[in-house]
Amino acid sequence: MTGSSSPPSPALTLPAPRARGGWRLPPAFGLATPATLFVLIALIGPLLLMFRYSLNRFVPGQMMVEALTLANYAKFFGDSFYQEVLGTTVWVSALSTLLCLVAGFPVAYFLVRQASPVWKGRLLLLVILPLLMGNAVRTAAWMVILGDKGLFNAVIGVIGISPVKLMYTPTAVVIGLVSVLLPFMIVTLQSVLEGIDANLESAAASLGAGHLTTLWRVVLPLALPGILAGTLLCFILSMNAYAPPVLIGGPSFHMMAPTVYQQVAKAMNWPFGAALAFVLMAVTLVLTTSANILVQRRYRRWSE
Amino acid sequence: MSEVVLQSIVKRYEAVPAVDNISLSIGEGELVALLGPSGCGKTTTLRMIGGFIPVTEGRILVGGRDVTHLPPNKRNMGFGFQNYALFPHMSVGENVAFGLQMRKVSRADIARRVKIALDRVKLAHLSDRLPKQLSGGQQQRVALARALVIEPDVLLLDEPLSNLDAQLRNEMKLEIRRIQQQLGITTIFVTHDQDEALSIADTVVLMRAGRIEQQGAPDDLFERPASHFAAEFMGVTNLLPGEVAGSDRFRLKGGDTILVPVAGRAGPHAFAIRPERLEIDGEASAANTLSAEVEIATYRGLVIDYRVKTPSGLCLTARRPSPAAGGPAPLPVGRPVRVSFAPEAGTLVPM
Ligand SMILES: Nc1ncnc2c1ncn2[C@@H]1O[C@H](COP(=O)(O)OP(=O)(O)OP(=O)(O)O)[C@@H](O)[C@H]1O
Ligand SMILES: [Mg+2]
Repeated sequence: MTGSSSPPSPALTLPAPRARGGWRLPPAFGLATPATLFVLIALIGPLLLMFRYSLNRFVPGQMMVEALTLANYAKFFGDSFYQEVLGTTVWVSALSTLLCLVAGFPVAYFLVRQASPVWKGRLLLLVILPLLMGNAVRTAAWMVILGDKGLFNAVIGVIGISPVKLMYTPTAVVIGLVSVLLPFMIVTLQSVLEGIDANLESAAASLGAGHLTTLWRVVLPLALPGILAGTLLCFILSMNAYAPPVLIGGPSFHMMAPTVYQQVAKAMNWPFGAALAFVLMAVTLVLTTSANILVQRRYRRWSE
Repeated sequence: MSEVVLQSIVKRYEAVPAVDNISLSIGEGELVALLGPSGCGKTTTLRMIGGFIPVTEGRILVGGRDVTHLPPNKRNMGFGFQNYALFPHMSVGENVAFGLQMRKVSRADIARRVKIALDRVKLAHLSDRLPKQLSGGQQQRVALARALVIEPDVLLLDEPLSNLDAQLRNEMKLEIRRIQQQLGITTIFVTHDQDEALSIADTVVLMRAGRIEQQGAPDDLFERPASHFAAEFMGVTNLLPGEVAGSDRFRLKGGDTILVPVAGRAGPHAFAIRPERLEIDGEASAANTLSAEVEIATYRGLVIDYRVKTPSGLCLTARRPSPAAGGPAPLPVGRPVRVSFAPEAGTLVPM
């Protein structure tokens, strides 16, 4: 580049990457790559490690022996105890999630449509506040309430009802789970309902629809994506719940997450613990994915 | 039997009135336009008639029946929303069918009536589309068809044309009027556009801060605004404050006295005259003549607006056809002119 009067060389004016490759990497690629890789490793790494462990063999005394065996999975499918644990986990989670939906929807709807702006802020804070306290602590509070000589029995005792056994029952675990999960459901539903134009409900009313018909024909179909998101979120959290089943369910009530922990930390059986964790994950994945597909099919047509 | 009567209706939000004592009687088959600036309570009034907002005080009668406390789904009124409010998850046909399904009309009848309703707005061929696959004007027409298919006693439209471009707005305006007259349906139409109100309404109701400022036939309101606010809102740009000074005289603030029909008024008023009624350099014998100087000339296509100023400081706007419309050559800024007008060219309005 000496002669200042010479025309610019063609090599400098060509948009090089496009001319060569046909497609170009997005400009942020260089910046995003390390972060993406880090996230992938952080998320997938432990999973891969656990999966590898689940194929190892457990030898008492020696802990884990390198191997490639499906024995741990076979043990799960051969032992009805573990299948019952999985069964309990699924129905307790399904019931808790359903209760969250049934209890959460009216609250979310009220927040969005009825509450004045000031009250909406206050109530929403009230809903989110419990999340600021770890769920182990909240679950402990439920122990105080549901215990045989707890708050609940004290209160119904005043009215003259004889005390009921709640602590260490599945009912108590469902109550505990619902209280832990409800804020997630309400906040998810609230954000979706917020996006539904109130005029649509007015329009339905002016066309002759009552409240229930409007809810069924207009609000619910439009809230479906949010209902799905909230339901899946609660279900997944519930499937993996640890503190409520351990603290409120007691020693003879078993769900999957505590059982995995028990295998890994108490029995020191890492391979079987890992296999249980993968069974739990697979079941959760299959159930949530089918729900997703089922619902997606209904609202894909207009949501695209 | 579907005349609508509003008896002193009031809506207060925490003691602040949004609608403040409105009484109005709308005859069967009449189209009334509620006109007024933003925030004057048009939507609130319409929503109270539709039953979406509870009335604080007063009564609403439809066809002699008190509907004040009836929920909207029992009122049999068609409502057109400003943003159309079509159900996004239902096709055009399903949207229109919704109201009929609520009335338990038979399947075959629904299909037939939906077809008729969509034909009326020329959209039968788009029956299977989703609302978001339609243009704004088409959505507007679906909303109209949906409101009309239930054969409502009253049609309520809240700024139905505000989201459309100028040409489409004009088309839809005429279409709404055509359908409304064809069906003879009592209609209340909210707008803040005076041109829209004048061109389709039987009666225009001008609102201001929750009250009725003036009501009457379009020409009545346009030609005889009864207040300073009405004159200003109806596009009278020259509003000259002053005081009645005799049986046919009016003294303007700057000191000039003009000849106008006073008709028994007294005290402070404003003389309202449209820019078209001011003549520039007309006949010298005119009753009122002011000498002035061109201050600003604004070219507006078919007309040119001249802002002129008199030595006493009075500013007036006069409008003349531009050369494009066969008018005289434009006047340069700074040019001295004579502005004249007949006494009956304007009116006095109370301040
Ligand atoms: N929910 C509400 N709470 C408090 N004030 C309200 C409420 N809704 C409306 N208002 C007030 O009532 C007045 C009338 O509102 P309205 O919506 O009827 O006006 P509008 O004439 O339709 O105006 P626009 O042309 O802007 O639509 C406004 O001053 C508004 O601030
Ligand atoms: Mg409005």
